[in-house]
Amino acid sequence: MILRNRLSTGAAALFFLLLLWQAPAFAGEEGVDFLSDDFYEYDLDDPELADPLEPLNRVVFQFNDTMYIWVLEPVATFYSHAVPLDLRECVNNFFRNLEEPVRFVNTLFQGRLADAGKVLARFLLNSTLGVYGLGDAATRVFDVPPVEATLGETLAHWGVGDGFYLVVPLYGSSTLRDFTGTIVDGFGMTPYYTWTDDIYLMGGVYVGKETSKLSMHLGEYDELKKVLFDPYISFRNAYFQYRNKLRDHPPAGPDNTLPESATD
Amino acid sequence: MSSFAKHAAVIVVVHLLITVLATVSTSAAVPDPVEQMRPVVDRIVRILTDPSLQGDDQCGKRRKMVMAAIRERFDFREMSKRVLGRQWRKLSEDEKQTFTGLFTTLLEHAYIGKIEDYSRQKVEFKGRRIKKNKAQVETVLVDGNVTIPVSYIMILKDNQWFAYDIVVENVSLVRNYMEQFSEIIRKNGFDSLVERMRVRIKELEAGSGKPCPTKTSISADRKGS
Repeated sequence: MILRNRLSTGAAALFFLLLLWQAPAFAGEEGVDFLSDDFYEYDLDDPELADPLEPLNRVVFQFNDTMYIWVLEPVATFYSHAVPLDLRECVNNFFRNLEEPVRFVNTLFQGRLADAGKVLARFLLNSTLGVYGLGDAATRVFDVPPVEATLGETLAHWGVGDGFYLVVPLYGSSTLRDFTGTIVDGFGMTPYYTWTDDIYLMGGVYVGKETSKLSMHLGEYDELKKVLFDPYISFRNAYFQYRNKLRDHPPAGPDNTLPESATD
Repeated sequence: MSSFAKHAAVIVVVHLLITVLATVSTSAAVPDPVEQMRPVVDRIVRILTDPSLQGDDQCGKRRKMVMAAIRERFDFREMSKRVLGRQWRKLSEDEKQTFTGLFTTLLEHAYIGKIEDYSRQKVEFKGRRIKKNKAQVETVLVDGNVTIPVSYIMILKDNQWFAYDIVVENVSLVRNYMEQFSEIIRKNGFDSLVERMRVRIKELEAGSGKPCPTKTSISADRKGS
């Protein structure tokens, strides 16, 4: 039964992928230079923000918005009061560590060999010295910072277009390609689900953690919406801008801080 | 002297002048944007942590002082110009001024409260990048173990750097507003945008009822700036 479910979800994912090969690639995914006036000029009507589902997306956005105020925010507030910060961090580290093999495969497929090495090192260090990944010894002791890599990005690397912008219920901003990738990446975690009973407990805490990560206090969120003219467009734009950052991997170099003085 | 020689001499002199001017303007060293930004940030921190300026009754005065400090290093006209993109060039000077005024007021209402919220955190200057007359000054806001990267995008005018965009976690404020505004302009026109801004400012001024939120304590534990 479980296998059949998995197969049919897999088939659906495959179908989406096939659909995506046809989809136009988004423009402007290359590095952004804020110092170039082009950044403030490029045409807003171009397909970069393909959003054919806008009416539907707006409905889901509204739904998420309501859920945020009535469910997620209270949960997050409760969680952050009930679970001490240290424990929240442990739980987060634990799940991040479980995801590292998936990340490793994605870095390889993206040809980011140095990053692949980092991910592998992190996994080995944290699984042993970090005690099953509860601590992040790799960052703290060995100065190997976390690396981001998702299937969505791997697909982008291989020329799969975003398809279109998607607001997913209870999940938020994504694109057809990226959300498909998220689902498939999630499969990479399934071997763990049979691991231990504790994983359900930790899973619950993790959901709380994810929620609180996004959380601003209710007042702040309200305030933010008050100064926006179209929260839907603002969030959509922020999503694309922020994603650019997650996918901007500086070629080599130990850190990505700006050089002290690079004048040209 | 033949007219050819005269011309040649003029050209030589002009070239000399240009070279001299060029070297002067570059070797007069572009001022360091970090060194110009830092004092403003420090001043804002001082205002927010000044014991004599604490409390709700001082709120109006405190905000006025913060805004004055911000205006020194922010160029709201440059900001407005970029927020409107192509639309800016189609506007008359009057319209440009109206828009700049409204946008400044809007940002003032929107974010000055935020600055007070963040005053308990530390600001660290990380570096700068200069490209011709533009500069990016990178800072991080440190709040416990969370760090938020905040960049100021600045333009050089008469040896002074002025910020015209704030980039938080790679999200440009200007670009974000630009997209919201362009939608309104495309659907309903520029005048409708101006009208909506006016209405929104009125709402913010009146509706909130408490333009100065209650701040119990603002500690002075900031360092590294």
